[in-house]
Amino acid sequence: MKVVIASGKGGTGKSMIASSLSILFSNFKNVIACDCDVDAPNLGLWLGVTKYDSSEKIAISEKASINLDKCTECGKCLDACRFGAIEKKKNFYVNSLACEGCGVCQLVCQADAVELRFVINAEIMIKKTDWGLNLISGQVYPGASGSGKIVQKLRKKAEKFSHDVMILDSAAGIGCPVIASITGCDYAVLVTEPTPSSFTDLKRVIEIVDHFRMPFGVVINKWDINPKLSEEIEKWSSKSLLGKVSYDKAVITSIVNLRPVITSKSKVAKEIEAVFKTLKSNIGA
Amino acid sequence: MHLVASTGGKGGTGKSTFAILFAVKSSKQGNKVLLCDCDVECPNDYLLLSKKISDTKPIYQDFPELNNEKCLSCGSCSKICRENAIFWIKDRNPTFIYNLCNSCGACWITCPQKAIGIKKGMIGESFLTKVNNRLWLFTGISKPGVARTEPVVQETKQRALDFAKENKIDIVIVDTSPGAHCNVILAISGSEKAYLVTEPTPLGAHDAELILQLLKIMKIPAEIVLNKADVGEKEIIHKIADKFNTRIAFEIPYSDRLVKAYSFGRLGEVADLI
Repeated sequence: MKVVIASGKGGTGKSMIASSLSILFSNFKNVIACDCDVDAPNLGLWLGVTKYDSSEKIAISEKASINLDKCTECGKCLDACRFGAIEKKKNFYVNSLACEGCGVCQLVCQADAVELRFVINAEIMIKKTDWGLNLISGQVYPGASGSGKIVQKLRKKAEKFSHDVMILDSAAGIGCPVIASITGCDYAVLVTEPTPSSFTDLKRVIEIVDHFRMPFGVVINKWDINPKLSEEIEKWSSKSLLGKVSYDKAVITSIVNLRPVITSKSKVAKEIEAVFKTLKSNIGA
Repeated sequence: MHLVASTGGKGGTGKSTFAILFAVKSSKQGNKVLLCDCDVECPNDYLLLSKKISDTKPIYQDFPELNNEKCLSCGSCSKICRENAIFWIKDRNPTFIYNLCNSCGACWITCPQKAIGIKKGMIGESFLTKVNNRLWLFTGISKPGVARTEPVVQETKQRALDFAKENKIDIVIVDTSPGAHCNVILAISGSEKAYLVTEPTPLGAHDAELILQLLKIMKIPAEIVLNKADVGEKEIIHKIADKFNTRIAFEIPYSDRLVKAYSFGRLGEVADLI
């Protein structure tokens, strides 16, 4: 069973919900939690993890470089590159932040001056947490590219762990890394807030989930910051509503102390447990 | 013309809130301001200003198109494509998987039969909104289902900059998506300064550090905006500011007035908060 957590808008509470569901599932199932937000991974912090057991460097994308001894400065690469990654100041050079490693510059170079090399662009870290569940987390190096491919790699590694339930905490947005996180899952938990932005973004992420014909449930986080809009979202979600979670200072206290919010004696913890109960019956776990 | 960015790594720290407050404040000081929402997967600035999507102009991407009669099923295109976007079985014509295609052109350059042409596919839209006499908003929005949204960011920003030039705009403020990936890099590149909006929690601190590293690589000066400054532990953000030799330029305390303005699309009315 693979459950993905998504939201469209950032900061709605995906990682808070993902960490809580991981711990709740681990009470009776074998769980692997995947932090698929490889740009800004926070699931570890929500699980109280600051140090990992192991980490592995990943080389997933290639970058071009120009051998100036061979370059005849014909400018064909500059014309052919569609990413604006070839620049000319004194010499021709590759702006590696813009380079997508497509190899077109190499294709058009008649002087054989372009080389493509794999670069180490990310790390994948693993931790057996205090809660018995395994956590796998990725981190793209600042300025490196290929988030979607790294999510795919991370998921392949996650599959090797014996598990009954896989929880995938996706990035914000609805693009490449999010689609890579949602693909092949059995159920999506969509976290929203009662704000016009978050509600609009929820509808956008649902378009993606629907594309995969994936069943989903909606969690309204901080519902009490705007009860009226919350009610509207509740009605709109109808049967797919998994539950509502209040705005509670206990969440901030928990994260500041790096203690999972679900282990706190708080109103939110109880509300998330109720969400979990509904989710469990929806997916038949 | 000044070009600045509002970014932050973590989602929900207040990038859009700050960008809007800053834009409104600057316009009230007499500047002609253009706010450019480059969070194209989930653009929200227009909602936070109670505006609607209207008069959109499409954004296209070049995609390969096969001339089946010319194709000899050699598979050269499939072998050269590094995005694995061309599916090919021996002795059959290839199939293009557009969602993986980054339009690099390797396939049409390589095809020995010149059997691959270029067709345009719509991947998103942009639209311009007039907020007041001195403030405009330019928004990019990707088409749901499109995986590679970088070209939408690039085109939106280009159109915004063209508009700014034509209309003698004083300040362009680019609002980025969360994360630190290509879309964020494209959105902040060329800025003379980036405002890093964060919150005083370990999460905010963790992501702020990532963005500061990125900005250092990009050689863009950074200043920190501490949102919800009184909720959590300020000390961790001060430490990071010291480490990266930057300063906290703005502190925005948690306020019910701001939360309400945010949730009712009236952010334009609370620019006094920064």
